[in-house]
Amino acid sequence: MTTAQAPINSVAIKTVVIVGGGNAGWLTAGRIAAKHKTKQGGVKVILVESPTIAPIGVGEGTWPTMRSTLIALGISETDFIRHCDATFKQGAKFARWVDGSKDDFYYHPLVLPQGFGKADMAAYWQAQHATAGMPSFSPASSFSNALCYQETICEQGLAPKTIRTAEFSAVANYAYHLDSGKFGQFLQQHCTEKLGVTHILDDVIAIHSVADGNHAANGDIAAVETKNHGAISGDLFVDCTGFSSLLLGKHYQVPFKACDDILFIDTALAVQVPYENADSPIASHTISTAQEAGWIWDIGLQHRRGVGYVYASKYCTEEDARATLAQYVGPAIEGLTVRKIPIVSGHRTKFWQNNCVAVGLSAGFLEPLEASALVLVELSAQMISEQLPANRALMDIVAKRFNDTFLYRWDKIIDFLKLHYLLSQRDEPFWRDNRDPATIPQSLLDLLQLWRYRAPGDLDFTSNNEVFPAASYQYVLYGMGFKTDYSHSGYLLDNWDFATQQFAQNQKMINQALSMLPTNRELITKIRDYGLNAL
Amino acid sequence: MAELIAINPKLHATLRFQPEQAEFHSRGIQLLPVVPAEFASIATQSPIVLTKNGQTGQFVTVAMLGFAPGENLWFADGSWQGTYLPLQLQRQPFFLGQADDSGQGDYVLCIDPDSPAIAQEQHSTATETATEALFQDDGSDSPYLQQIKGVLAELLQGEQQQQQLVQALLAANLIQPLSLEITFANQQSTRLNGLYTIDQQKLAALDAATLVNLHQAGWLAPIYTIIASAAQLYPLIARKNQQLTGAA
Repeated sequence: MTTAQAPINSVAIKTVVIVGGGNAGWLTAGRIAAKHKTKQGGVKVILVESPTIAPIGVGEGTWPTMRSTLIALGISETDFIRHCDATFKQGAKFARWVDGSKDDFYYHPLVLPQGFGKADMAAYWQAQHATAGMPSFSPASSFSNALCYQETICEQGLAPKTIRTAEFSAVANYAYHLDSGKFGQFLQQHCTEKLGVTHILDDVIAIHSVADGNHAANGDIAAVETKNHGAISGDLFVDCTGFSSLLLGKHYQVPFKACDDILFIDTALAVQVPYENADSPIASHTISTAQEAGWIWDIGLQHRRGVGYVYASKYCTEEDARATLAQYVGPAIEGLTVRKIPIVSGHRTKFWQNNCVAVGLSAGFLEPLEASALVLVELSAQMISEQLPANRALMDIVAKRFNDTFLYRWDKIIDFLKLHYLLSQRDEPFWRDNRDPATIPQSLLDLLQLWRYRAPGDLDFTSNNEVFPAASYQYVLYGMGFKTDYSHSGYLLDNWDFATQQFAQNQKMINQALSMLPTNRELITKIRDYGLNAL
Repeated sequence: MAELIAINPKLHATLRFQPEQAEFHSRGIQLLPVVPAEFASIATQSPIVLTKNGQTGQFVTVAMLGFAPGENLWFADGSWQGTYLPLQLQRQPFFLGQADDSGQGDYVLCIDPDSPAIAQEQHSTATETATEALFQDDGSDSPYLQQIKGVLAELLQGEQQQQQLVQALLAANLIQPLSLEITFANQQSTRLNGLYTIDQQKLAALDAATLVNLHQAGWLAPIYTIIASAAQLYPLIARKNQQLTGAA
């Protein structure tokens, strides 16, 4: 606490109090503690977690960023895989999104298209695709298969590396699927034992502002009052209280900006499905299968799959949704518990107010179509730890930056998720209404106008804070059957020699991958048996 | 790999071997596993490096015999050209198998039935090549089999030592990737990947306690032998160049 004379602006940021455990709380605690040497007497990090409120724990898909996050926390990949039921994820397969037919699918892999950034390969692919007269969605000729070897790896159930590849290194870029509950416990143990985070199990019952009448009173939070541990004071408070948004939402009354006018999904039905055998194949990609009023996620962990139907209740009763999920899972669903989770799509109008910043569900949530939940937590934790203000005076500057950065990121994610729905030819009401221009952000409509005459490129995404690269837009756009009109831009097709080399190179990469990579299940078993080496 | 067959005095009493043919097993072996006890002998002819076992991903120490998979520059004209024959070749065509899959069972002596070192019957009588039997008339082990068993015992112990050495190197953070780009006499270049060696800077900077531990465990000699063996890279390149230019 400050003395009466000390101007509050000069108060050094020495203690960070994180309210709420779960993956958001522990990832933020870990990033700050690792960077600011908590264990060696640096910034103090206290995590207060309610012993009675269980984390939501639905996020089971990550981005490749999780590899750098784990490295930053000083975690061994072998330990992580062994303790968190984790497997390798190499992107997403979108099934039945285009027209709903049985063999309709495309991939959004994690490896960039061959030749990306050197030439507009989408133009060459489309030209070749048209002249070859191939059926639109023949797998052999699809955009993702013609220009990215990772699709074949996924289709064959192969891992993105071998047992000889070092920890966190890749043959093909990868992320993870993980058990959210186990990940939280694993992070908790690592943060408290290795990184010096103080863990307090208690309920927060009140929030104390810097006292009125104190000349320094500015609305900042001075402390959180707990049931059994008294007041816990700090200089920065991180709200990781999940949907309840205790500090940012309830205390500061920062408004919530819903985006259910753009993204209609509002309910999830989730179930954990055990494998048939201990050595059943593990898909090394998230499978997202479009349904009447939403889509079903299917994520393969080591010991079970996580499956869930996310749907818009306006277009589908819960009874119908349960039937759809049961049909997808098959007889195995008998006796399994189906959890219902509400999805309130949207985010707070700002994330950092005074000396309080929200990370995780307290900041916002979107349907898990592109696994944006955990990556937003990672990006938030990274920015807080890297830009942790030295004193209170600097905090307002950092807060403004943080708010600008993350408002931009949320908008971009919403645009990108909406893109998945725009080009479908499915004709159920949910899908038709999704294509109503009134539900599409202007920023996305503008991009689609541009892309009618050229492919998405880096020139469309020029901020330092981009979330999805232009390549991701290409995968979704051309996967969904979008046609770019190159009749006025022949200059984009002036180097067929280079293009032909790229298609051949992709085929070569496919052959190499097939000859060297084990199955996802085999590699996971080997990592459990032998471990990966750190180099 | 060929199916392994457990040795049985009843079934294999008449089986005969041509020990020098065991050298055939080195054909096409670029990286041959070697154990610390033979490092000093190996270092007189080959670089010793580390690589990762393809099945387990764990580090193993190997003698580098060539520059590409399938290339053994020490095997020519049907025989091993070096003065020292590594234990992994001396033991051929015998293996120690385990009776059960648990990894806990007793070891069983096995042979590779496809080995050229097993003398075909028509040869065993007709040629002047010396052949060896496994058993003596009284059913006891022949001197040849005794020698093989000795080699296998040495290897078994050596592999444990090899693993302990690797653990010690990892614990002291002394392994680093070895990146080699070599241009041969015909201007062809090759880049060697997947090889590792001792990080000499880290070795020089070790604290006293770690150094004493390495010394007391007996690992300093093997570590310095690995470092010294790197000089054998140049004779190996020369061997390759000779092969390329046809100057035998």
